[in-house]
Amino acid sequence: MATMKELKETTTVRQRVEEALAKAHASQPQLNAVVTFVDVEEQLTGLNEIADGPFYGMPIALKDNVCTQGIRTTASSKILDNYIPVYNAHIVDKLKAAGAIVIAKASMDELAMGGTNLTAATGPVYNPYDHSRMAGGSSGGSAALVAAGVVPFAIGSDTGDSVRKPASFCGVLGMKPTYGRISRYGIIPYSSSLDHVGYFTRSALDAAEALKVLAGRDDRDMTSSYEPVPDYAAALSSDVTGRKVAIFKNVIDALGNPQVKAMFEKTVEALKDRGAIVEEVSLREDLLKAILPAYYLIANCEATANHSNLDGIRFGVQQPGDSMEEIMIQSRTKGFGSLIRKRFVIGSYGLFVENQEKLFRQAQRVRRLIVENVAEMMKDYDILIAPASSDVAPKLDDHSRDELSDGYLIAENHMVIGNFTGYPSCTVPMGMLNGLPVGLNMTAKAWDEQSLFDFAAAMEEITGMKDATAEVME
Amino acid sequence: MEYEVIIGIEIHCELKTKTKMFSGAPVLFGAPANTCVNEIDLGHPGTMPCVNKQAVAMAVQACTALNMEIDPLVRFDRKNYYYTDLPKGFQITQQFYPIGRHGYVEIETENGPKKIRIERLHMEEDTAKQFHYDAGTLIDFNRAGTPLVEIVSEPDIRSGKEAMAYVEKLRTTLYYLGVSDVKMEEGSMRCDVNISLRPAGTEKFGVKTEIKNLNSISNVQKAVEYEIERQTQILNEGGQVVQETRRFDEATRTTISMRKKEGAVDYKYFPEPNIFPIQLDAQWIRQLQEAMPEMPEVRQARYVELGLPETDIALLVANKDLADYYDQVMKHTSHAKIAANWVIVELPAGLTKLNKKLSENPVAPQAMAELVNMIVGGEISGKQAKVVFEEVLQGKDPKQVAQEKGMKQLSDTSALIALVNQVLDEQPQSITDYKNGKDRAVGFLVGQVMKKSKGQANPAMTNKLIVEELKKRI
Repeated sequence: MATMKELKETTTVRQRVEEALAKAHASQPQLNAVVTFVDVEEQLTGLNEIADGPFYGMPIALKDNVCTQGIRTTASSKILDNYIPVYNAHIVDKLKAAGAIVIAKASMDELAMGGTNLTAATGPVYNPYDHSRMAGGSSGGSAALVAAGVVPFAIGSDTGDSVRKPASFCGVLGMKPTYGRISRYGIIPYSSSLDHVGYFTRSALDAAEALKVLAGRDDRDMTSSYEPVPDYAAALSSDVTGRKVAIFKNVIDALGNPQVKAMFEKTVEALKDRGAIVEEVSLREDLLKAILPAYYLIANCEATANHSNLDGIRFGVQQPGDSMEEIMIQSRTKGFGSLIRKRFVIGSYGLFVENQEKLFRQAQRVRRLIVENVAEMMKDYDILIAPASSDVAPKLDDHSRDELSDGYLIAENHMVIGNFTGYPSCTVPMGMLNGLPVGLNMTAKAWDEQSLFDFAAAMEEITGMKDATAEVME
Repeated sequence: MEYEVIIGIEIHCELKTKTKMFSGAPVLFGAPANTCVNEIDLGHPGTMPCVNKQAVAMAVQACTALNMEIDPLVRFDRKNYYYTDLPKGFQITQQFYPIGRHGYVEIETENGPKKIRIERLHMEEDTAKQFHYDAGTLIDFNRAGTPLVEIVSEPDIRSGKEAMAYVEKLRTTLYYLGVSDVKMEEGSMRCDVNISLRPAGTEKFGVKTEIKNLNSISNVQKAVEYEIERQTQILNEGGQVVQETRRFDEATRTTISMRKKEGAVDYKYFPEPNIFPIQLDAQWIRQLQEAMPEMPEVRQARYVELGLPETDIALLVANKDLADYYDQVMKHTSHAKIAANWVIVELPAGLTKLNKKLSENPVAPQAMAELVNMIVGGEISGKQAKVVFEEVLQGKDPKQVAQEKGMKQLSDTSALIALVNQVLDEQPQSITDYKNGKDRAVGFLVGQVMKKSKGQANPAMTNKLIVEELKKRI
């Protein structure tokens, strides 16, 4: 396979786009990662007027919650099965202006709610390394397409760890920049205060190049930042000598799989060998255990309001009914999967006037406490590291997890910290266990994406897993 | 039994901004249905709100005019409910932190001026407009997202007259500010009245009803008076007022029950996550306040100073555009009362004849002032002035018209005395009449002089000279 940079140097635009399309179609039976294949001819014709750059003529995929004008965008939900946006998401305009060719809209957990990619209206996405396993979610389709070598770049979105967890399961780089770094305008939301636009690549350099294109203030997203966008790629350096790394000790202690622990320790040694200063840090255990419940409350409360527009009246799949009210009720009941309906009920419950103070508002206060404590914990360090997951990708039918165990509450959900704080956070391949990838998660302080790219470059040298892809097709 | 009437009024006012509260779509009254909408107004997935700065500026000025405390930290909240006229399934409003609090206006009552306190003023967005037909419901989304301010009074109003005076006061104030068209009949100002009765001298509030659908200021008074009567009768008969929403029926001049209020709806208000709190710059607020146009109270005081009669003042203050024109006229003349008379009486009458609105007024303020100056200066008589004005209404210059018509007022004393004596010689009977105390004779003689002079004699001077000459002959 090849990274974006290598593809540009070794192929013509038509070659790489046609190859990507061919691979996307060929891998679809095994991966089920694509919701909609996009016609590329018109995009190729428009290319001439576009200046050269990292995305020039580059085949890419978009998570199916990214609105694309004139191209079906379903967010993997039945209620949006027929939805064709009238506008482009901000990042789509940016990517197109940079010459990117969208070849596919990628599968996801329905409305980005989930971590398995088992809830998509089009069915599960299968892990490119083992088709009996999950790709992870919610950006599972995007992760799988990059991991299978179909495209060198795919957009995802990350509300809990929806880019960084599938990146771990699929062995690719999954980047979630600082909250406000990339405009969310045109991304079908999950939870507005936690949602981030993220993306997958197979190299640190590609990731650094991509952010320069995607980042920047957009007046249509008031939460997007005026913070200047640096030239990350030009500054990219795998030299981590003297850089300060914090090991997230609570997470290491909660790891269930000793092989993952050993792999992590090896990684730490390698970083030390390269001159990084590595120390252990901890967060209050009660706060750590509160992450998941606080997350679910905030996310579901915001989601229930965010998705109130999906009523079948103005767009989307409309069910018949004798009154407007009945049309709305029927459309919503039939349009959403059971998991979504469950989350809406939880969200509504948390917002009721008699519950809001002790549930939603309390969750927001807990979030604030966690953010303050994490800031304190990280203040002397460049990055905070821990395994992105305590194990390899689970089997599709694995229901064994105990959601109240430390292993689950802490080891599987610590990456939500990146969404609570808005800090940039990135998962890179750490190694392979029995032929399956395991990821390392790295979190930096606000606006310091550069440290993540630098450490990602160092990790490529340590693991040799730059441009790692799974062999999907015979 | 004697009852005390308790009235509180909520007013929704559309702001006259160029674009919508949270989108760039234009705000135009009377545009073809669904032509002033974009993806944001339709609540399409992925869209995000962007606060309209002009709307905030107008709200700041409205707060200032209503003597309110301004919260410089602007925050928005979501009000959640499902309805077909609410595209997002929630309305963005300011539930927890309204931009204005603790204001008041002063109204005139039979017992002198009275302060009506205002609890809050907040910004929000309007809903779409629905048209229900037998064949189905049509929705026009042009109005969806139009900026509104909602102004909520304290329950300080005690009668239909006070209610009307309060609404009128807010209407003129907002109209003077130029922030709204405040047309109740077009719905750019909407008014909900809450009324309850309690036995005079008691503290506890009675059960209230809310009256909607008040499409004119006079209907406010009529509806309130009917409702007071209705509730009084119920209470006198030992019954209980039902808490409900009623609408005013213009045909029968009564209020009719729309729906009972069975338990309050839980709108699950929570802070809007896509709009961070906005800190208003103190200097910006100051600049807005300094740039505010003259308020009605100030204009009224100014007109009192000019010595205008009370009725003229009331009429001018209530008609801002006419008063603005009057102020323009007054830049070119110092004869306030006569100018007011011409602006209030002759101008509207002339415009009506031409079937023109004030906005199409062809009479330049200078021309009107000139005409007034010519009358006061004795160049033409009032009677002549009316003839001249006919042509001034065609856009002509009054001096030129007077000249063309050969109109000059004879104001030369010696010439007039000659004319007067000529008439007196011809009318000996009038001298006798005058001698016998018949003052009417003077009027007859003035008429004769006017006739002889072909209407050019200065009537005031003629009158004075006739009396003087008569006295000489007695």
